[in-house]
Amino acid sequence: MEPAGGSGVHTGLEAPPRRAKLGVPMTRQANAVDFWRGFALVSIFINHIPGLLYEGLTHRNVSISDSAELFVFLAGWSLGLLVVSRNEPMTAPRLVARLGGRAMTIYAAQILISSIALAMLAASAYTLDNPLILEWHNAAAVFQDPALAHIGLVLLTHQLGYFDILPLYVVLMLAAPAIALIDRFARPLLVPMSLGLYLLALIVPFTAPTWPVPGQWFFNPFTWQAIFVLGFALSRPEGLGAVVGSHIRLIRFVALPIVLVTAVLVWFNWFPDPTKLPEPKLLFLNGKSFLTPMRLIQFLALVAVFSASYAYFAPWVPWLCEFLSALGRNSLNVFCVASLLSLLGQIVRYLYNGSFLVDTIVVVCGIGLLWLTAWISEWRDRQKAAV
Amino acid sequence: MERSAKSGGLTVRRSGVAAVAAAIGLASCVAAWAQAVPDKADRVPEPPPVAKECGDANVAAGDLPNSALALQQRRQVKILAIGASSAAVLGLGHDGNPPLLEQILEHSIKGLDVEIINRGVSGELAEAAGQRLKIEVALNHPDLVLWQVGTNDAFAQVSVEAFERTVSNTVRWLKDHNVDVILVGLQYMKQLAKNEHYQAIRKSLQRITLAEGVMRITRYEAMEVLARTLRESGRPEPRDFGLTEAGYNCMAQYVARAIAVGLFVKVPKQAPPPPR
Repeated sequence: MEPAGGSGVHTGLEAPPRRAKLGVPMTRQANAVDFWRGFALVSIFINHIPGLLYEGLTHRNVSISDSAELFVFLAGWSLGLLVVSRNEPMTAPRLVARLGGRAMTIYAAQILISSIALAMLAASAYTLDNPLILEWHNAAAVFQDPALAHIGLVLLTHQLGYFDILPLYVVLMLAAPAIALIDRFARPLLVPMSLGLYLLALIVPFTAPTWPVPGQWFFNPFTWQAIFVLGFALSRPEGLGAVVGSHIRLIRFVALPIVLVTAVLVWFNWFPDPTKLPEPKLLFLNGKSFLTPMRLIQFLALVAVFSASYAYFAPWVPWLCEFLSALGRNSLNVFCVASLLSLLGQIVRYLYNGSFLVDTIVVVCGIGLLWLTAWISEWRDRQKAAV
Repeated sequence: MERSAKSGGLTVRRSGVAAVAAAIGLASCVAAWAQAVPDKADRVPEPPPVAKECGDANVAAGDLPNSALALQQRRQVKILAIGASSAAVLGLGHDGNPPLLEQILEHSIKGLDVEIINRGVSGELAEAAGQRLKIEVALNHPDLVLWQVGTNDAFAQVSVEAFERTVSNTVRWLKDHNVDVILVGLQYMKQLAKNEHYQAIRKSLQRITLAEGVMRITRYEAMEVLARTLRESGRPEPRDFGLTEAGYNCMAQYVARAIAVGLFVKVPKQAPPPPR
């Protein structure tokens, strides 16, 4: 897990260099971080259309963890790169302002896509003459109790189904200044503090509540912060990142059996009865909302094993690397469009009944539009830079 | 749908509050029944009624032995709500009040403490809900699970066989772990009456109910009867029945009645005829 600028073993997740194009330093070259981020985005798009045939091809069919873990881990990794991306370290106030601004951008994106999603559901309900669609994805409260539900939407305590990752990302980015400052001034404490909070949230247990519909956040921010912080810490050339980088071969040796054994467990659904597990059960369960240790460990093993793979397959499929890296470079825009396209895909499947042909069209058009989103984003950046 | 979308929020809110008040009032009316909750097994009270405007609340027969035991031992029943739209099953609780289902049950059954654990995840298919349900049972030890299931699977074109296998296995797992279950079925929509897959999933849920001997809130049939009654009487059909707050409150009354039936009423040994 060696970051950019380090010496020794290459992990395949080094910091991305920038590519000069027409004299304007703009687009990053295809690289492992952007590639895997693009991979996560495509997986999320597919997995958020329940019942889609191609869901069976995503890696969660042979992995305890799925694309959500990968997305949040790489968000933390990117934060690490962002913090050290300048030649001179930013002052603490500037760092806080920059990361806080990023959190606001993500928050605005969440509000925007939630509003569009609600409009899509309403339009579909009218057009298809099916009011049941207004109940999809936790939208019922917005249409039935709009005053409170809108407060909840703004406070992020009311989240539409499948639109619940960005609220987690907002919270994590709001915590990002604290993470970066602890890393700067008390680095040895960062990971222990994060894991301490993680274990506490599992043992007590506690999570963030939803409102006005009583319930829990699908992604518990107190546990999911651990994977974000680990992504951040592992991206750094010092501390944990340095330790892991220098022992990466040994770690892969240990990680490979974990990946293989858990693949078999998932494939055959060989998990113990959760009621038979000892207390505190969340330490031993396979639960996505709480990112239980089983998922976290398997995910880290998966990263250790597959982080080496990019360097091997990149020369063979450069087009694929370019394609997914383009998505990854523009991850927020692509994620937002992917979320909306997933919803559109569900509506299309309802309308035309899911079949191989319909599902193929949904996936091909959807991924094509994701690429178009990335292309437009970079085209706009180029236009701005050229002015 | 048209009414809820076009009418002002205040009107909707007023009608909602009125519906809540009516439901609570109804619950209070049956308090006499509640206060006569039998300590002796030979007394079989009438279950609480459902408001007339909600139509006929059909409940596929079944008892709730684990919940009844919890009531006897602790005066408390812990209910886990899981499935697509928890508001549609629990009823909306305004101004910080608990869900309507909890209010009705606690008003109806003297001394009963109802704890509702809401773990509904919208858009979730039966397979994912079934896996999550087991985790929630392990963590929260409910006496009763309210599982709203089927609508998402029907819309997502999940095969009937896979759906039936998943739900049956999960229901059996719950029974093996001494947890009662009430299945809340699909909603009635005139537009979906000829949708083959929707109807196939609905019939699949009927089969599971009969095979496993568990309760099912036959929401579809009740809503269908109500729609037909209204149509025959020349009044407009409630196209938005399942969406309005009043609709939710009717659901909460259905479920409250089903729980009361399961807790106190002896179940006939002969299975009832399948709904039309």
